[in-house]
Amino acid sequence: MIKAGQIERGTALLIKGQPFVCIEREFVNPGKGSAFVRLKLKNPGTGQILAETMKTQDNAEEITVDDRDCQYLYNDGDSFHMMLTDTYEQLETPMENFPDFEYLMKDGETYRCTFWGDQLLDIQIPSKVVYLVAEAEEAIKGDTVQGATKYVVTETGLKVRCPIFIKKGEKIRINTDTREYLERVNS
Amino acid sequence: MNNLEKIKAVKNRSTLYSNIREFFNEKKYLEVDTPSLSTTLIPEATIDNFATQFSSDFYPNKELYMIPSPEIFMKQLISEGFSSIYQFSKCFRNSEQLGKQHNIEFSMLEYYSIHMDEQDSIELTQEMILKTHLKETPSWALPPFKKMSVNEAMIKYANLDLDNNQKQSQLYKKALDLGITSINRYESWESTFNRIFLTFVEPNLPQDKPLILYDYPKQIDCLATNKKSAPYKKRWEMYIGGLEIANCYDELKDEEKIKEYYRKEYSTIIRERSNTNRVIPDIDDNFYSILKKAPQTSGVAIGMDRLLMSQMNIDNIEGVILFPFSDMMR
Repeated sequence: MIKAGQIERGTALLIKGQPFVCIEREFVNPGKGSAFVRLKLKNPGTGQILAETMKTQDNAEEITVDDRDCQYLYNDGDSFHMMLTDTYEQLETPMENFPDFEYLMKDGETYRCTFWGDQLLDIQIPSKVVYLVAEAEEAIKGDTVQGATKYVVTETGLKVRCPIFIKKGEKIRINTDTREYLERVNS
Repeated sequence: MNNLEKIKAVKNRSTLYSNIREFFNEKKYLEVDTPSLSTTLIPEATIDNFATQFSSDFYPNKELYMIPSPEIFMKQLISEGFSSIYQFSKCFRNSEQLGKQHNIEFSMLEYYSIHMDEQDSIELTQEMILKTHLKETPSWALPPFKKMSVNEAMIKYANLDLDNNQKQSQLYKKALDLGITSINRYESWESTFNRIFLTFVEPNLPQDKPLILYDYPKQIDCLATNKKSAPYKKRWEMYIGGLEIANCYDELKDEEKIKEYYRKEYSTIIRERSNTNRVIPDIDDNFYSILKKAPQTSGVAIGMDRLLMSQMNIDNIEGVILFPFSDMMR
């Protein structure tokens, strides 16, 4: 059992016998009311989405899950194809269960994945990842306003706002939770 | 925030505050300035407090509390015969919740209007926003206000009529029918109400204009008067862009009822906070009778950071606060 206030994105819960993974969590305080969390939960197997509002002090049934390493191979537009690195067993998982992950995962990279039995519940992307800048607009000459930004596109296709000095071919660190630029990486 | 955004936020706050001061001064409301540290608080079980220590070689040490709202002092002024008053103050709420809508220290505008009830306060608040808003304010954050009772909203968005579900057993059954699973059979009516409200109603409230949600269930304890004919309190909340921004009461003056509120709220605090590191504030037994002789009063509290967010069309409180707490924690 865990307290609902401790549920985070990625926490796996058993609700009415079904596994659900938390995909969104927001703290809410009704006026003159105690603290609640508004959760969006997803059953990775069926895709069913559940909206739950729990008191932060409520108990929830957390399920025991295993973390295993999986290598990301490719996606075919519908599914992610991955391989368990310990058994070389391949698996497929619908892309819609992991929205926008195609912009965060790099081909050939190994990720920790959360399984409940043989069901893939979560792909853990580190919160800070270095990406190669694949496309960048040229900075406008003379634009010296402090804090000016522009968009760049990473090798994975992720579009992020970053400072104007970032050039194509450079590496940048990104916060994958907020999808925000953190810093330039010299290598 | 970059420097330009910071300067803009500071200038906008300054403009809005000065417009609001002008508005209230013109209406002959007196601006007051009351303490941030208090030896007692009004008990509120749902608000965690900050405590600190007065220490001196010459006086006994004393625990002090950062105010979660200036209410305790402003009501005292009303009881002493002050006319209508307003104040901008810093308020402090200790809580685990940090996020886009919360900062542990925030700015509050409170105004107490004598000889007015909560309905009059709606008109006053509407006029205030209309006359004081920033030029850049989007139309969804400007009057005319929409108005809806809490029960109308429950019927519309959860298909549930509170008038017919006053018993916990009835509301519990409705919550199950709505598909809420995390519910406890033995919890309070208020808890079940909040689950339903937060899941089905609040996310669906209209956002095209500011919304006044009025007549809150009497089961939610607070210092507002009861309606005579229905199981609701004379209290409203204002939502702008889906974010709760203001709260208003027709202020309770009845000594016995205030005492009863204190007793219930304080026993909840003791029950929930004993054997934890949460602060259990001292309370003042003289407060019950404080408003006994005061005229009818309506009090409004507006979260200024959130009001500024709505007028600047920013969805993160850190976009209007210079030194957000979450930055300090990094």
